[in-house]
Amino acid sequence: MKAPGLYGYTLAYLLFLYAPIALLPIFAFNDSVVIAFPLSGFTTSWFSAMWEDSSMWQALRNSMIVSGSTAILATVLGLFAARASTRHAFPGKAGIMGLIMLPLVLPEMIVAMSLLVALLAAGLDLSLWTVILGHVLICTPFAVAILTSAFQSLDRSLEEAALDLGETPVSTFRLVILPLVAPGIVASLLICFTVSLDEFIVAYFLAGTEPLLSVYIYGQFRFPSNVPAVMALGTVLVAVSVLLLAAAEYFRRRGIARTGGSAGGGFV
Amino acid sequence: MTDTPMIDLSDVQKYYGDYHALRGITATIRPGEFFSLLGPSGCGKTTLLRTIAGFEEISSGMIRIDGRDMAGVPANRRPTNMVFQSYAIFPHLSVAENVGFGLRRLGLDAAEKTRRIGTALEMVGLAGYGARAAHALSGGQRQRVALARALILKPKVLLLDEPLSALDKKMREQMQVELIKLQRQVGITFILVTHDQEEALVMSDRIAVMFEGEIAQLADPETLYRRPTSRRVAEFIGVMNFLPATIVSEGSGRAALEVQGLGRCEVDAPPGGVASDGGTTVGMRPETLTILYDGQAPTDRSADGTVDEVVYYGDMTYYDVRLDGTDRPVRISMRNVFGRPVLNIKARVRVGWSPGALVLFR
Repeated sequence: MKAPGLYGYTLAYLLFLYAPIALLPIFAFNDSVVIAFPLSGFTTSWFSAMWEDSSMWQALRNSMIVSGSTAILATVLGLFAARASTRHAFPGKAGIMGLIMLPLVLPEMIVAMSLLVALLAAGLDLSLWTVILGHVLICTPFAVAILTSAFQSLDRSLEEAALDLGETPVSTFRLVILPLVAPGIVASLLICFTVSLDEFIVAYFLAGTEPLLSVYIYGQFRFPSNVPAVMALGTVLVAVSVLLLAAAEYFRRRGIARTGGSAGGGFV
Repeated sequence: MTDTPMIDLSDVQKYYGDYHALRGITATIRPGEFFSLLGPSGCGKTTLLRTIAGFEEISSGMIRIDGRDMAGVPANRRPTNMVFQSYAIFPHLSVAENVGFGLRRLGLDAAEKTRRIGTALEMVGLAGYGARAAHALSGGQRQRVALARALILKPKVLLLDEPLSALDKKMREQMQVELIKLQRQVGITFILVTHDQEEALVMSDRIAVMFEGEIAQLADPETLYRRPTSRRVAEFIGVMNFLPATIVSEGSGRAALEVQGLGRCEVDAPPGGVASDGGTTVGMRPETLTILYDGQAPTDRSADGTVDEVVYYGDMTYYDVRLDGTDRPVRISMRNVFGRPVLNIKARVRVGWSPGALVLFR
């Protein structure tokens, strides 16, 4: 390291980013309702309190339905868009792809508000499906980005070679294209699931009476006695999120390595 | 060799929107022939190959393979197989799975499959490589796997799209020889697309030189080199010197010329005669000119000149010599022989030449 000042700066920056997350497990195992130092002893009772909370399970079930459906829908849509944008030239392509990717930078607040207004104006009741609608909008750009890189690293002559050797377009897709983009599909499913699971604003605006996990956690902070249990839940969520993202990146890299590219950069 | 052509191209036209990629290609390719499509990038040679493979529809005209019209026949039902420029080795399959890919639909039992894959690998010198992962191969090995994979179906025609362009020079020359041997061994019609004129000359029975979507000349390598029919073909293949000339008289396939720097001579006229205004160009290859020793008698004719530039290549020396009465030098290639020093710039020389080696362009 040539400049020790820069090294210190980097360290401070990383601490600022991640130290608060480290507090989650610390207080999840702390034997006190008060979230403050000094620690008063080790306990796993907050985890069992969390485990026995039926409304948490209800919120978790809702979140699984929303995030699972979102991941599948966004990935299917992303598959079409990525295939079209990497294989075909069509008028207005840049504009269309730009609009698909726009929700990535659009404030979620705006997405949530405008969707809410539109849904109410259309006379639709808020439900888990309206959340799924909003989440698909937010997650599709992630799916498109991941799958585009999977399709781009796929040499077009691989498809032609399979056709040339007697396979039909359908069997070519099954024997050559699918195995080579499969890691990208898995990565896209995992990322979309994670993004949807963590999302709060759209979930809060569009869920109606059905609480989702993120909204449930926010609600629990109103009752100080429930906070340590939320810390326990947060600890579990952090662990699961890290696991899912690591798995997604693993699959994405494996996909690129398979098709002969180098796994530089990285989406996450 | 039979008279029915293996491939019969008749007035093949291809448009991409407004772009006219193939402008009326008519040619026949004989069974068992090593045929090359040679031209600069963008001349339509790869497009033509892809229309034969069935990856591109033609806009009009007809392609017949072994007597059968290929209109509406998709790539997977044509009796052709292709070696791609990128080799297109399936990265998720092993070498054996790649080579045996085309056998899937033949309904062979496992033992027969293994036997055929083994034979194909042996043919390209990769016996025992079957279990290797495809992505762990070197460039030359990938090339061989691509060859074995394309040949295992015993196609009537093997199409090769610049297959050697990704290899280094030494490997390329080695593969050229191997490809020629392989073609003789299997007896399949090979169609090679290349932009490398030397590669085309070395490997082909016949070459079609293409410019801007048209065949400029179709001939065997020797004719193409010695008697190019246009300046463009002459310039594309090897080095050709050009000198301005005027027609003195023309008749019954011969023309009397006054060539700048060389003087008056009589040569074969191109079919169809020369432009009527009398001004024209003659071409000659560097090796058809000789720098004469002091006192050496020319085998035919001679002209005087001054050495402009000397390029020493070890076994050869290239001299640029300005003949008296000309404003641009001609290139002369001389084999360096023992006991003969390389000439210096500004040296006065006599250049031996022969009217028979001159090519008259219309």
